[in-house]
Amino acid sequence: MEILDLKIIMLIAGLMMIVAGCYCIIRTYHMVKIIIGIEVAMKAVTMFIIMGGYMNGHMGLAQSYVVTAIVIEVIVAVVLAGVTMNLYKKYGNMDIRNLIQLKG
Amino acid sequence: MNYLDLSAEAFLLVPLATIIIYNICPKKLSEKYFYVFAAAVAIIQIIASVSMFYLMNVLHMREHNFIFLKVLGKSGMGSLCITYFSPVFLFCIGLVSFASVMIAMHTIDAKKTHYVNLLMTLITGMNGMILVKDLFSLYVFLEIVGLSSFVMIAMFQSKKGLEGSVKYLVMSEFASIFILTALALIFMQTGSLSYDAVGSFLLDGAASSQKMMIYFSVILLISAFAIKTGAVPFHSWLPDAHQSADTAISVLLSGIVIKIAGVYSLIVLTRLFSGIEAVHVTLATIGILSIVTGALLAAKQNHFKRIIAYSSVSQMGYILLGLSTGTTLGLIGSVAHVFSHAVFKTTLFTNAGALHEHFESLDINEMGGLQSRMPVTAFSSIIAFLSTAGIPPFTGFWSKLLIVMALWTSGNPVMAGAALTASIFTSAYFLRLQKKVFFGPLPDRLSEVKEVTGSIKFIEILLTAVTITVGVLFPMILVYLQNAGTI
Repeated sequence: MEILDLKIIMLIAGLMMIVAGCYCIIRTYHMVKIIIGIEVAMKAVTMFIIMGGYMNGHMGLAQSYVVTAIVIEVIVAVVLAGVTMNLYKKYGNMDIRNLIQLKG
Repeated sequence: MNYLDLSAEAFLLVPLATIIIYNICPKKLSEKYFYVFAAAVAIIQIIASVSMFYLMNVLHMREHNFIFLKVLGKSGMGSLCITYFSPVFLFCIGLVSFASVMIAMHTIDAKKTHYVNLLMTLITGMNGMILVKDLFSLYVFLEIVGLSSFVMIAMFQSKKGLEGSVKYLVMSEFASIFILTALALIFMQTGSLSYDAVGSFLLDGAASSQKMMIYFSVILLISAFAIKTGAVPFHSWLPDAHQSADTAISVLLSGIVIKIAGVYSLIVLTRLFSGIEAVHVTLATIGILSIVTGALLAAKQNHFKRIIAYSSVSQMGYILLGLSTGTTLGLIGSVAHVFSHAVFKTTLFTNAGALHEHFESLDINEMGGLQSRMPVTAFSSIIAFLSTAGIPPFTGFWSKLLIVMALWTSGNPVMAGAALTASIFTSAYFLRLQKKVFFGPLPDRLSEVKEVTGSIKFIEILLTAVTITVGVLFPMILVYLQNAGTI
């Protein structure tokens, strides 16, 4: 029963973090906040992978997955930050409501 | 080491080695001859995929397993696999990359080295996606493809490019979150993510609580790959990203990236989860929605590239419909449509590159009667349009025919009828495009317009020749494959 509790708590916490991250991406208008939202959701996902490894006993595999996932996540954050920086140079702020040139 | 292994290893080794060699070269040389390196990789890819296809048919192999860098020792870097339809995808990658390089010679003036390096990582990523044998590696290569595309769109730092890149990036991040969550849930149940383990786990019949987890992860995976494909509820990024990028990069995105990142992943998904009926129903629904919505939205656009981008949404719908049958015929139809779509969509984007020389905005209302001034562009565009609309004897006809036949034989006559009816929309928006751009009298202000020369003209002629030749020879290719026992 005790182990079940831990699993369920982690599952619920992880899902809440993913929903919070996605909500943050959808609802905020600031580029840096969007990056933070993505990071929050991805951190929850890495926690899920570790939990998966803990549940089925393949901890080594889970660790290698998590390391790779973290590397990818960092690269995505860097690319997004680069694009954000360029947007700041063009528009003077980081509001995504500026991005209305492509329509239809 | 036999010839089969050699061509199999070339797919990953050649682009990776080219990155190293290209960056060692002196800056002056690499700026001046950037197209030589990139075109060489594309041509090697085409040769290797054709020889792979031929050898696998001659040897009656349905799949070929190999270890990357076997020469370095037995441990290698993990085993890879080429299945019987993979060479078609690999060939499309080579062909579209070659077209992109030829267009880049005309359109890209600055940042040539960036272009070559990013193209090489893109090719590595796409080849990797096709060769890997487990879901996590598929995700890793998917991210490589995605990241190269984001940077390529934003590369020239125009306002539009940055906007398209941000839209694509944020949508793709949703896809990444969904894929990783689904993979974590599957990993919890199975303890491994290789295709064999996941497939056999589902065959064995899991407990009901486990089944719920699997269903949840399948929902996430389908939405994630639908985002990458640009299928209809998730299509909003596609026209923006494809319109805002440079033409040499739009060709890559529309011609091949959405097919490898989206459609190939969905093929993997349908092969793994073929036992779940809901997958097929979902794909069929998304497919029909994409065909109709994409075509209707394309009919009201005024930007040349945007019309073609919405046309991609519509054509992806046909591929998803073919996959939704779950039969071999449907799979063959989808793969054939991937090929024909790669060819005709690349032709149309090449035409966009040719028109861009004279029309900076690419607004079709500014054009008109260009048929007499740009005969090669007009002819190739009409052939590509006829292939898109599914008129015999071009490649698009045969692939659509296979998809409709697969739908009909798998007991889905309604879907088959809907797919046929929706072809009318395709003709509608393309006839509008042709009428506004190429037909009719030539306005006086356009009498200075000249036909494009050099590499763009060459690639237009080459791709038109491919459309016509493969279209005429298509029945023979099918009969040959049937005799070889491949299909």
